[in-house]
Amino acid sequence: MATASETTLVSAPAEGATKWWTRFLDPSERTLAVLLLLPAAFLLALIIVYPVGRLVWTSFQNLSLTSGLPATFAGLENYALMLDDPVFWETTWNTILITLITVPGALVVGMILALMANLPFETKWPTRLSLLIPWALPLSFAGLIFAWFFHSEYGVVNDVLRRLGFEGVIWFNSANWAFAAICLTIVWKTSSFMALIILAGLQTIPRSLYEAAEVDGAGRIRQFFEITLPLLKPAIVVALIFRTITALQTFDIPYTMTRGGPGTSTATLAMYIHQNTVDFLDLGYGSALAVVMFLLSMGVTVVYLRMIRAKG
Amino acid sequence: MTLNKTLTLLLAGAAMTVTASAAMAQQTNLRVFVSSQHRPDVWRKAFDMYEAKNPNVKVTLETGGNTSEQQAQYLNTVMTAKDSSLDVMILDVIRPAQYAAAGWTVPFNEVIGKDVKAYMDRYLPAYAEANTVDGKVVALPAFADAMFLYYRKDLLDKHGIQPPKTWAELTAAAKKITEAEKDPNLQGLSFQGKAIEGAVCTFLLPYWSMGKQLVSNGKLSFDKDAAVKSLKLWKDFVDQGVAKKNIAEVATDDTRKEFQAGNVVFAVNWSYAWGQFQGNESAVKDKVGVVKLPAVEGGEPASCLGGWEWGVSSYSNNKTEAQKLVQYLSSPETSEFMAINAALLPAFPEKYTDEDVTKAVPWFANAKPVVETAKARPVTPRYNEVSEIIRTTVNGVLAGQQTPEQGADQMESRLHRVLR
Repeated sequence: MATASETTLVSAPAEGATKWWTRFLDPSERTLAVLLLLPAAFLLALIIVYPVGRLVWTSFQNLSLTSGLPATFAGLENYALMLDDPVFWETTWNTILITLITVPGALVVGMILALMANLPFETKWPTRLSLLIPWALPLSFAGLIFAWFFHSEYGVVNDVLRRLGFEGVIWFNSANWAFAAICLTIVWKTSSFMALIILAGLQTIPRSLYEAAEVDGAGRIRQFFEITLPLLKPAIVVALIFRTITALQTFDIPYTMTRGGPGTSTATLAMYIHQNTVDFLDLGYGSALAVVMFLLSMGVTVVYLRMIRAKG
Repeated sequence: MTLNKTLTLLLAGAAMTVTASAAMAQQTNLRVFVSSQHRPDVWRKAFDMYEAKNPNVKVTLETGGNTSEQQAQYLNTVMTAKDSSLDVMILDVIRPAQYAAAGWTVPFNEVIGKDVKAYMDRYLPAYAEANTVDGKVVALPAFADAMFLYYRKDLLDKHGIQPPKTWAELTAAAKKITEAEKDPNLQGLSFQGKAIEGAVCTFLLPYWSMGKQLVSNGKLSFDKDAAVKSLKLWKDFVDQGVAKKNIAEVATDDTRKEFQAGNVVFAVNWSYAWGQFQGNESAVKDKVGVVKLPAVEGGEPASCLGGWEWGVSSYSNNKTEAQKLVQYLSSPETSEFMAINAALLPAFPEKYTDEDVTKAVPWFANAKPVVETAKARPVTPRYNEVSEIIRTTVNGVLAGQQTPEQGADQMESRLHRVLR
């Protein structure tokens, strides 16, 4: 409001002038909208469009800092290299596997946590606080902490196993056990985020629906499947989108827990990108790998968005 | 009145700031990166001595990362960002060539003057070579290093065993001692199986001992048969119970800690471990012997050449002062100081037999031939990739993810992609 009146004040002395810029002094609604959106659009271009464009461009170049040579155009060479790179396939497969295991895992655990937090306890803060702590903990801290939990000699997990009469497992000495330890950690770390979003969804469901169902004689389980779950769908889809994209980008937890070992059996695509760019300084190949991951994330997002739109 | 007063004060303040910054301009601040595992506390004393002699220079010490790869990751980030905050950095012996190729370090030729060859000839040949690329001196040696076999003198004496000359002898000796001692915590042999830089040396020790090279004349000369044998040698230590089952989790400093706690009979490690074994917290003080690493049956003993070098960043704003500091750090005097106070092996041959040095670290006299014959890991700008391939394979084989044959196969095909 204030801006509108100011602009009229300013434009008054310039009466009669028909220079092109005068329309900015008394903008139409359309021009005003463009003007107001410009800074945001500029910022977005600067932090998203430019870097992504630059990434795609680099992926078509031979640019390795260790070669000491200037960048040259390489066309699709970096992408062709990927095809017969066994580590690329292994890390991509590991990434997909982590996504397939930890996203549903975190959804189920998160749902249980949210339902528990939504129970009508007198004091709610203990449950809510214990929900928030794993979420607030930085990923790499979680990885380092769990690496100690699973340590074969000094870890608490093996200690418990031994006390129960089992033999301890050398977790990080076997691809399967190391993978299991990583997935467990990711589920622990991420289910609280799922729970928070689902809890917010749960609180929008009016109590009257449950009361009506009770009057009609529906049991607890029936209520869950007929009322809670359908009304939670939008919250679940949003949580799934966020979780799946971060799962595809999994880096911190395996990096701090196993560094991808034993061998390369628990390395993820994000770790391989990091390795190629930061350790090997092969920016061309690293960028090509990053483009592939970008496309993977985009694909998943499009599928989810379609799902939301289909549901109206 | 008050306004005038305030103005005067402000002006006086401004004048003082100007004078202060003029004085500051003559002062050079140098920021030096030192690897945290190589006694930054003792390097700090060396910096203090330099500051005392050069009052216009102030040296700030920066450390970080626990392993060579983590430090390289950090420095790679600083250098790709063309960050001018670091002036001098310590580099693992495998990196000066890479850093020079990337244009990240400044050559020393001009500050050294006319006789570059004579200047470099003062160092052990391996280090003169590692720091010279196409006639340019790209870094100067900080200290030398090689891998040795540490052993428990008390246990070997008790069971009447001589230090082993071959890996087979070591296996027999380790078995004999651990069986007789009946201590479930006592390991026969500790070496590096974790996917770290040290695991590259783990692989190369027996490979070299068989007389094979990884790279000859810049071309890959991978001998698959020798690679299988090398991987099998290490895996057999695990399978026979000589090394512990989770050796794939063991990094260099884990070997050092476990030996120091008295839980290991034989250990493969670098020279730095000695100082800690003889320290006051050590359970094995005065019970440790050091010898050359064993050879394979019918082969020559081989050690891995280590050591660290000082480079001056191309993005430094004080290149000349930084190079002067490095010349001091890489001088025979500093070398001797670091040998006596930190048990870091000198890069100057004559310092190994120096009276003051041998008094502090008696075994240095025997270390010289080991350092002189230690082999260098392949010199290539793409070394990081070569290293990653070797160390993840060693780690995978020791964890039982792959057989030695599969590991050697994978190593060969991946190395071919890098060293075409």
